[in-house]
Amino acid sequence: MGFLDFLLGSTKLPQPKSERLFAIATARITLEAKLGLKPTGNAAICIKPLESSTYERTRAEIEDLLRLGSREAGTAYRLENDSYGYLWVVLMDPEFEDLVSGVHMVVRSLTDSGLGQQLLCAVYPFSNGFKVYWIFSFKLGAYYPFVPSSEKPGRERDGALELRLRSVMAEELPIEKDVARWYPIWEMPL
Amino acid sequence: MVRWSADRGLQARMLLTMFLLAAVYLIFINVILAMGVGIQGVVLIMGVFLFIQYFYSDKIALASVGARIVSETEAPELHELVGRLCAIAGLPKPRIAIVRTDVPNAFATGRSQSSSVVAVTTGLLRRLDKSELEAVLAHELSHIKNRDVAVMTIASFLSTVASLIVQNIFFLGDRRDRESGSLVAVWIVSLIVWIVSFILIRALSRYREFSADRGAAIITGRPSALVSALMKISGTMARIPREDLRRVEGMNAFFIIPTGAIANLLSTHPPIEARIAALERLEREIL
Repeated sequence: MGFLDFLLGSTKLPQPKSERLFAIATARITLEAKLGLKPTGNAAICIKPLESSTYERTRAEIEDLLRLGSREAGTAYRLENDSYGYLWVVLMDPEFEDLVSGVHMVVRSLTDSGLGQQLLCAVYPFSNGFKVYWIFSFKLGAYYPFVPSSEKPGRERDGALELRLRSVMAEELPIEKDVARWYPIWEMPL
Repeated sequence: MVRWSADRGLQARMLLTMFLLAAVYLIFINVILAMGVGIQGVVLIMGVFLFIQYFYSDKIALASVGARIVSETEAPELHELVGRLCAIAGLPKPRIAIVRTDVPNAFATGRSQSSSVVAVTTGLLRRLDKSELEAVLAHELSHIKNRDVAVMTIASFLSTVASLIVQNIFFLGDRRDRESGSLVAVWIVSLIVWIVSFILIRALSRYREFSADRGAAIITGRPSALVSALMKISGTMARIPREDLRRVEGMNAFFIIPTGAIANLLSTHPPIEARIAALERLEREIL
């Protein structure tokens, strides 16, 4: 938002910051080498609730796109609604690079059809006996870690491990600096 | 979250206090000069101040927080832990004090290595496990080893002298054309000098924190123990939210959290994140 826009009050909504999304592709190597974390073979995009007419159109658009894409790369997909009314696009592929490009493809297509604002986040799960989620917030334009606690039941997270993940990955991933914005996503459909 | 905001308020008050204290200090010196005591007299008073600060700072510091020196029978584990760390660091064993407060903290004071005191709060003892406590004590012992109390006392003394010198360049000039206007200028200049040196002293303090962290990591051989202690003390971990992103998004949450650029410039300690990052680097070097 420029100074004039500010002065004249013509606020434009910020465009989703998706350019840094790709960083996970190289970070994945470090995650495995340093922490033994391997990709789980799936990834997801979470989309905010839409009006019913837009919803049907968007859903069809994503399905068309993924049908085409999956024929080439062999990426399987699934569309799901959660209890909050958010739409989840879950991609499944043993090749991590294909997951990353699949996510990017969906994000670009939605942005092109003017639905960039509706993008909430992209999620890349990793595992080493326990699950680690790297959440990319389109609003923040940055990643942050989310590790549900394996010791304590219920909605507890392993903050110590998350902060350790941040310091190990700080040079490779754009990570949100303010930990107070590291909002978790419970009961993800992946 | 509540505790965090309360701490911020306290920091703001402390900062205000320090500024006011310095302003009073300057008024004091200027009043003395105006009364015609002369430079020699001011230097003498400054000397007395430095003497008191240097030789009684430990007693003042301990008394101001209500720290109580504990004997070996009162706190055997603490004494044993400190004794062992001192053997590694090659330091004479300092006296140990305990402060009764739930705020987790620790500090070291004393002008020389032999007259030092290491103080810990009951809140710190309650929260940290043994390896974390060891790391914090090693950090404080590093301050003693680096003679930080003496260094900081001398640094702040020089800052006061610096502002005095700036004033005296004017005062020593031609006294006949000294008007009220130039007097105002003197005040402004001395205040600027003081503010700049204040920021510099704070920066110096932060660097010495980093080196004490490094010292602690070397003494214990475990940077990760200090990292985990710092996280517990700072409450960084407590700031990570548990509320679902989708719920927050639904509430149209605003993200208005002030950035800490100015606070960083004025604080005596570096941000926890920077200290942790430095320790993690150290850990990679050690391993």
